[in-house]
Amino acid sequence: MSVQTTNPKWIEMPADSRFERNAIEEAHRATLNILEDFAVEKRALERGQRATLNILEDFDAEKKRMAGAERAVLNILEDFASEKSQLEEFQHSFLNILEDFSQEKKQLEGTQRAVLNILDDFEEEKANVELANLHLEKEIKERKNAEEEIQRTNRELRAANKELEAFSYSVSHDLRTPLRSIDGFSQALLEDYADKLDSTARDHLQRVRRAAQRMAALIDDMLNLSRVTRCELHREKLDLSAMAKSIATELQEAEPGRRVEFVIESGLTAVGDPQLLRAAMENLLRNSWKYTSGHPTARIEFGRSAEKEKHSLFVRDDGAGFDPRYADRLFGAFQRLHTAKEFPGTGVGLATVQRIIHRHGGEIWAEGAVEMGATFFFTL
Amino acid sequence: MENKTILLVEDNADDEALTFRALTKNNIGNQLVVARDGAEALDYLFATGQYSARDVNAGPQVVLLDLNLPKVSGLEVLRRLRANDRTKHLPVVILTSSNEEQDRIQGYENGANSYVRKPVDFNQFIDGVRQLGLYWLILNELPPPRR
Repeated sequence: MSVQTTNPKWIEMPADSRFERNAIEEAHRATLNILEDFAVEKRALERGQRATLNILEDFDAEKKRMAGAERAVLNILEDFASEKSQLEEFQHSFLNILEDFSQEKKQLEGTQRAVLNILDDFEEEKANVELANLHLEKEIKERKNAEEEIQRTNRELRAANKELEAFSYSVSHDLRTPLRSIDGFSQALLEDYADKLDSTARDHLQRVRRAAQRMAALIDDMLNLSRVTRCELHREKLDLSAMAKSIATELQEAEPGRRVEFVIESGLTAVGDPQLLRAAMENLLRNSWKYTSGHPTARIEFGRSAEKEKHSLFVRDDGAGFDPRYADRLFGAFQRLHTAKEFPGTGVGLATVQRIIHRHGGEIWAEGAVEMGATFFFTL
Repeated sequence: MENKTILLVEDNADDEALTFRALTKNNIGNQLVVARDGAEALDYLFATGQYSARDVNAGPQVVLLDLNLPKVSGLEVLRRLRANDRTKHLPVVILTSSNEEQDRIQGYENGANSYVRKPVDFNQFIDGVRQLGLYWLILNELPPPRR
């Protein structure tokens, strides 16, 4: 602002004092300088004020920011508090787990001790088993040897059986031929030289013939006996009652003159070889037929025995019977309890039956008395 | 019964004599021809060797064949018989001592017509031979001779 050096109107001054006028102009210039300074100061203050206001603004913003930060921090503290309580929960569970773990550890230690004991026992057992193994190996070797021995024996048996078969064949064929000659030419003599032979001579020749025929019968029976032992056993279900009936019919047709009553129980069955069992039944029934031939009438029975737990069958007749004192000779081969004059036969029949019954795993025994019949019991 | 012959194949002299005797008793003795071993039997049947002069068409009415023969066995004779066109229909009766199952089986397997066991009892033998003779020589009819 320019200082007016002109005299302002307002100030009306006496003109006589120049000194006073210079003092007032200086005071005037000094006041104007102070006003200038003051204006400058004012401007500086205003600037200062604006700056302070800016600072206040900034401070306000900062305050808001800090309030925000404070809220954030409070949130964080809240979260932190909940995290803290979760962590404390975890800590609890973790402590529980550590407790359980400590228990488990104790149990495991217990188990470990037990396992160690077991391992110790196991070591012992192992040693025992190894010892046992050694024994077993020895036993196996011995058994193998025994088996080989058995197989060798079997081979020998089979060879022996084959030899036996060849022998039987030879017997059946070759022994009969000379017998035929003996019988045939004796007969030829009897026929062609009948007029030159007296009764004694004829009797001699008859004995020769009978002896030859008897030998043939013995050969046949021996062969049958050996065949029973040799041949294979076929197992079938058999109707023994029907078998007995058929044999009875055969016997009656062969000698219709005889009066014999057959009492055959029905429904008697068994499992066994059809050929062999038929041979056994024939033997027993033919025996009954033969040994009742001395009586005018006879009764032959075939049935099941009611006594004992053993399911046994029997053939009974009321014929000549036998002396029970010699009962143990009944089943011996070629053993007879009667002479050939009383009853013909080779004495092999019952031995054959016994062998057949035994091959089927059964037993046979007899009861009887002289002239009071005989009963033959058997099981299969 | 002319021209009806029986061929007996038998190595045992006694059996041969007894068979001849039995046939004679039944009036068919003079029709018996005997071969004493298997080879001889084949010679006769095929008209070879010592029998080459024989008329092969005048074959025997029946062959009584023993099984145990020297040189060629009875079964072999049977087999060759059956294998030959001219002789395959010839009736063959196996006449033997043996009653072994194997022999019976083999006999029929190889084409025997009949299997008869020679009994020891001579009377039975005579009776058997009579029945054989009656049957095979009289009752049985052969196929017509081949041209």
